[in-house]
Amino acid sequence: MRSLRIVAVALVSSALACAQPPLTAEQKRLNLESFEFVWSTIRDQYWDPTFGGIDWTAVRDEFRPRIMRAATMAETRTLMSQMLERLGKSHFAIIPSDIYGDLDAREESGTASAGFDVRVIENHALVISVQEGSPAALQGVHSGWEILSIDGTDLAPRIEKVAGLYRNSTTRELYLARSVLGKLAGDEGSLAQIQFRDGSGARIVKEIQRIRPQGSLAKFGYLPPSYVWIKSRKIGGDAGYLAFNLFLDPARLMPEFGNAVHYFAECAGIIVDLRGNPGGLGIMAMGMAGWFIDKPDQRLGTMYTRQAPVKFALNPRPPVYHGALAILVDGCSASTSEVFAGGMKDLGRARIFGTRTAGAALPSAIDRLPNGDALQHALADYISEGGRTLEGVGVIPDVEVKLTRDALLAGHDPVLDAAIEWIHAQK
Amino acid sequence: MHLRYRLMPAVFLAGLLCHAGAARAGEVLPKAEEILDKFVEATGGKAAYEKIHNEKVTGTFEFVGKGVKGAMTNYRAEPNKMYMRIDLENIGAIEDGTDGETAWTLSVVQGPHIKTGEERAVSLREATLRAPLEWRKLYKNAETAAVEDVNGQACYKLVLTPNEGKPETQYYDKKSKLLVKMSVTVVSQMGEIPTETTVSDYKEQDGLLSPRKSHHTVLGQEFEITINQIEYNTEIPNNRFDLPAEIKALAAK
Repeated sequence: MRSLRIVAVALVSSALACAQPPLTAEQKRLNLESFEFVWSTIRDQYWDPTFGGIDWTAVRDEFRPRIMRAATMAETRTLMSQMLERLGKSHFAIIPSDIYGDLDAREESGTASAGFDVRVIENHALVISVQEGSPAALQGVHSGWEILSIDGTDLAPRIEKVAGLYRNSTTRELYLARSVLGKLAGDEGSLAQIQFRDGSGARIVKEIQRIRPQGSLAKFGYLPPSYVWIKSRKIGGDAGYLAFNLFLDPARLMPEFGNAVHYFAECAGIIVDLRGNPGGLGIMAMGMAGWFIDKPDQRLGTMYTRQAPVKFALNPRPPVYHGALAILVDGCSASTSEVFAGGMKDLGRARIFGTRTAGAALPSAIDRLPNGDALQHALADYISEGGRTLEGVGVIPDVEVKLTRDALLAGHDPVLDAAIEWIHAQK
Repeated sequence: MHLRYRLMPAVFLAGLLCHAGAARAGEVLPKAEEILDKFVEATGGKAAYEKIHNEKVTGTFEFVGKGVKGAMTNYRAEPNKMYMRIDLENIGAIEDGTDGETAWTLSVVQGPHIKTGEERAVSLREATLRAPLEWRKLYKNAETAAVEDVNGQACYKLVLTPNEGKPETQYYDKKSKLLVKMSVTVVSQMGEIPTETTVSDYKEQDGLLSPRKSHHTVLGQEFEITINQIEYNTEIPNNRFDLPAEIKALAAK
């Protein structure tokens, strides 16, 4: 999840070009210190010690004098960004101090949700599912309704701004959804005044009480605790359906996932729904894949680190499920979701339904710089088993199916429907 | 013998590292076998090792600075049986073992895996209870490569080439004769990943000195193992080294 925020900030930083006051001597000193930090971090941690053929020392010699001559913060950031661009990779950026955190409104405003999920489809923020029994459900909020404003803030300009910012990025759908969900989030028990456009086109206002997110609170080391849920049920007569919101809480999620696969043993197919899943622990993708593959020595892909390439190896977990496997993805499926979906597609083990994933697969970190900005840098490269990079590309579905307002209002999930239809055709 | 299991967590992640080095000018390096034999003497002597038929080690495992930790228990019995379990908080159990023939790993996250080839050879070597006494059986060659400082102490750097697998580098303190550092590339199903381990805080138990702390670096991640208790010639359940059901099921395929 953190890596997703990083991608967003990276893109935002490149949009900075506003005029700024001249630098003080102290700011110049801190900027030079920051430049050295950036350069040496890449020197020491970039996964490819040859830097793709670039003479990294020469790059320093070229940019250092220019940093010393830079007259504004904007110029300094531009120069450092240009230096990073020489690597020709995503996930490397200078994050201005005044922007970092702006894209993470959810953390600042609380973690309670409005009880429904959202996607921005053709620049309209649409409810795509409503949590059963939630205040939103009890107030009649329905899939397909458009969200027009939240607490008096009109969403259209917000959506337009984010859409423009990410117009050329595979992460566009991800950050459009996050920008709305961040606005919807708040403290548990608080009220969100939301203006909707309902199925008839009428504008209606609802006061929705925010509730604790679904699932159980899971901790992993020093990372902020997250609510993790997993759902499974039989669907469409003879298909098994599995969905979970994060690749976290392995002690609980892995056994539940495995038990569900075994429960679906006689089903014609299993559907793993990764729509909206931003990823988590990569190792869980390997473990889950093991329930679907029966040959040893297969892998989802390879992560290239400075120290060594790490194969995402799969262990068959008997009794292995041999039926049809469909994986559902969308633009909010990222990171480990992409590793799982992309790898299973490359192995020929799964058919992918939905829309292109976020293309945000690389593990990355943010380091604060002495001048207050931050450096975002990827710690590794990842190549899926089919030899394709996922970063900036995403997983392309075998069957592209888009959600529409009409389908949602009619209570349909066309992506799920397509997967069920395919499973039935495999019999 | 009681040093090897400290590498086992790193084996999950795989890896080994080799450093080039050179003797200090004018220094005549002792033979590797002399250094290895002195290590046996320094840690208790041949007779003390020969009295040991099994061991049970308990301790803690922690990723440095990540807030991820857990409890570790390790059993070994002669000649080369081993079972280790690490229970990581919020992640689950990681098990690793061998009955002397089949070497395996099993975790709630990654599932069962039977080791083969070089990976299996490494596990069997690490499971060898009296490895310090039996290094001539385990390694086909051992050479003293250089004298290098490790944490400010002059150490002999030895390169040991196992019968199967990649060379390992070990560093022995010139004064204390004790092993202080290892660089190992263990081949695993995840690849060939360099690891580096330093050991410290040697303490005596039943006439044998062994380190109570080890610090491991694997793929830029650091973790530490702290040993709280070592029991030699203790009661170990008869089925402790039996293959788990998941491994048996995998082997039956």
